[in-house]
Amino acid sequence: MSVTISVDGVSKRFGETQAVNNVSFDVEKGRIFGLLGPNGAGKTTTIRMINYITLQDEGKITINDLPVSPKTQKMIGYMPEERGLYKKMKVGEQLMYLAQLKGMNKTDAREKIKYWLNRFNAYDWHSKVVGELSKGMSQKIQFISTIVHNPEIYIFDEPFSGLDPINSELLKEIIIELKDQGNTILFSTHRMEQVEQMCDDICLFNNGKVVLTGNLRKIKKDFGKNTVLLEFQGDGSFLDELEDVRINNRSTNFAEIRILNGLNAQEILKKAMQNVEIHKFQLVEPSLNEIFISTVGEDNIKKQQEAELS
Amino acid sequence: MNWRQTYLVLKREYLTRVKSKGFIWATILVPVGFAVLIGVGIFIAAWDSEIDYTIGVFDESGLIIENLQEIDETRYQDYSDLPVDTLRAMVQREEITGYVLVNDSHITGEQNLELIYSGSGGLQLLTAVRSDFRESIRQERLRRENVSEDIRNIFESSVTIDSRRLSREGEETDDDTEFLSVVGMFMGLIIFGAIFGYGGYIMRGVIEEKTNRIIEVIASSVKPIELLTGKMAGVGAIAITQFGIWILAFTGLSAIAGPVASSIIGESASATQMPNGMEQANQELPAILDIPTLETSLIIYFVIFFFLGYLLFSSLFAAIGSAADSETDTQQLMLPISAPIFIAYIIMFHTMQSPDSTLSVVGSLIPFFSPILMITRIAITEVPFWQTSTAILLMLLSFVGTMWLSAKIYQVGILSYGKTATFKDLAKWIKQS
Repeated sequence: MSVTISVDGVSKRFGETQAVNNVSFDVEKGRIFGLLGPNGAGKTTTIRMINYITLQDEGKITINDLPVSPKTQKMIGYMPEERGLYKKMKVGEQLMYLAQLKGMNKTDAREKIKYWLNRFNAYDWHSKVVGELSKGMSQKIQFISTIVHNPEIYIFDEPFSGLDPINSELLKEIIIELKDQGNTILFSTHRMEQVEQMCDDICLFNNGKVVLTGNLRKIKKDFGKNTVLLEFQGDGSFLDELEDVRINNRSTNFAEIRILNGLNAQEILKKAMQNVEIHKFQLVEPSLNEIFISTVGEDNIKKQQEAELS
Repeated sequence: MNWRQTYLVLKREYLTRVKSKGFIWATILVPVGFAVLIGVGIFIAAWDSEIDYTIGVFDESGLIIENLQEIDETRYQDYSDLPVDTLRAMVQREEITGYVLVNDSHITGEQNLELIYSGSGGLQLLTAVRSDFRESIRQERLRRENVSEDIRNIFESSVTIDSRRLSREGEETDDDTEFLSVVGMFMGLIIFGAIFGYGGYIMRGVIEEKTNRIIEVIASSVKPIELLTGKMAGVGAIAITQFGIWILAFTGLSAIAGPVASSIIGESASATQMPNGMEQANQELPAILDIPTLETSLIIYFVIFFFLGYLLFSSLFAAIGSAADSETDTQQLMLPISAPIFIAYIIMFHTMQSPDSTLSVVGSLIPFFSPILMITRIAITEVPFWQTSTAILLMLLSFVGTMWLSAKIYQVGILSYGKTATFKDLAKWIKQS
């Protein structure tokens, strides 16, 4: 298994703010890597450093063993969170310009643009000005602009934000397809269900630091089967009386209950039986959302305690 | 620096702009606007002098009014038969602009004349009235002294001085300082307009890339300094194209229009007596159409100062664009740039009058004023070589400085969204990058 992107002890400071603090992780070739974390955790800054847009203060970032540089930029297809196109330029000209900036020659670029526009049933738009396209259409052009130069690494920052459901689905398909062709994909998001569905490995950011990183399956396994999925009929107020649990995803007849302090799951079942009619009781691994909340939550508490001590 | 990337940026900047409707309209409208501006100026000058002001004259001696009416029959009215109170009332009712009492003591010089008037007419009227009375009374004094006709003619004759320039090399040429002053002012104005015009192009381009949110996509392929250089070169190429079109059109038109216009003006000028303003315009018009008298060196200097001025300021405009979040937010940030340009613009009118004064010389050596002031001086006067070369050298050095500063602001600014930076933020950005 070879490492495609290696981030090693990287820090970045903006004035008073330590945006990224001694961050390390590896992205392996041919896998989908998810970068998670709350807003302002340092994901975008890290992604920008990998893309050689922002330079790190400390640490080392390599792409295929090469330190980041204009050369490594060309190996990457990058779709930033803040994305857009020149509104007054024609679709074809625009894609040609962006492909050439990534080092493609005209002939190859023309061929690729044609291929992708046809693939998305968008060849008719070739001579249209981007400003005339609908939002969904220009999102498609945005995808093409990211992948047209045929790189082996793809980085998407919050790719699903602002996408309509059709394009969301389309992007997911593209990502899976790119992965199947042996490419490496890194994306950041705070949409957990997409990470659960797509990612092989994850890295969880909080306050500029990595709080958790590794293989998604393994992480979930390590957290243990300590979550109860409960479906019931009746008055769910007994749930409020449970101690040492955290309840996620609660609705009138459903609750996802995370057991915190070794409380026996059977106790919950007993309590539930006394109060409501149970339709389903299942002990599962925690959802990624739960892992996210508990890890970030603990990290924040720890930070608070440190602050109080010092 | 990767020149291929810079070239790609340049090409895009140039092609998208040169094909845009905005460019085509600007190319057509700017000269039209200029012509209209000049036309309006001439029209105002001509029209203004036709307004009649009536000055009532109560002349006890009965001698001055004749002389006055000889100078301007409509302006000076003889009201010697009316009581002074009526004259006062007429001024109050605005039937006449003002009145003057003249008696013997004024002619002998014992007492000063007094113009009682409503205040309208301004400086121009005051000056005219003063000189008319001075002349009339002088004539009367001469008459009383019984001086001969010959001596009176001497007083009435005017002395003109023709001037010729003698160069250091000993060549003597016709002096066309008046024409060259106008040329100098135009060149200063053009550079003034170009810095704002093309600087504004760059600034809006940068803001557009930020508001379109394409900038980060671009930044993942191009270094900020390459992007900045490409933009400046692209808009520079637009400037060359636009001026190329104008110069071609202008030479073409004046080749046709020059002889035609001067023949029309020549005929009408001899046929009718023109008012003052028109006469002046009459002198200037053929001069404008008559380009070949410009020295080649002046044109070369114009091109040099035009481009140095453009380079010096354009990177700063880009920096401001990168720091602003929308076009409306640029006003405050613009101040440190527009202030020196406007100061230079104001000094330029002084420089036109006295191109070798200390203010003009010092001003033209200050890099941020040089593009406007030095070219005006070069057009009008003989500027020592050390001054032009110092100005060019200082501008080049300052360009390196502004470029360095702008690049630092630019590379942080383009990636910061959400709010327009303050000067404090800019200082932070410069330190941090």
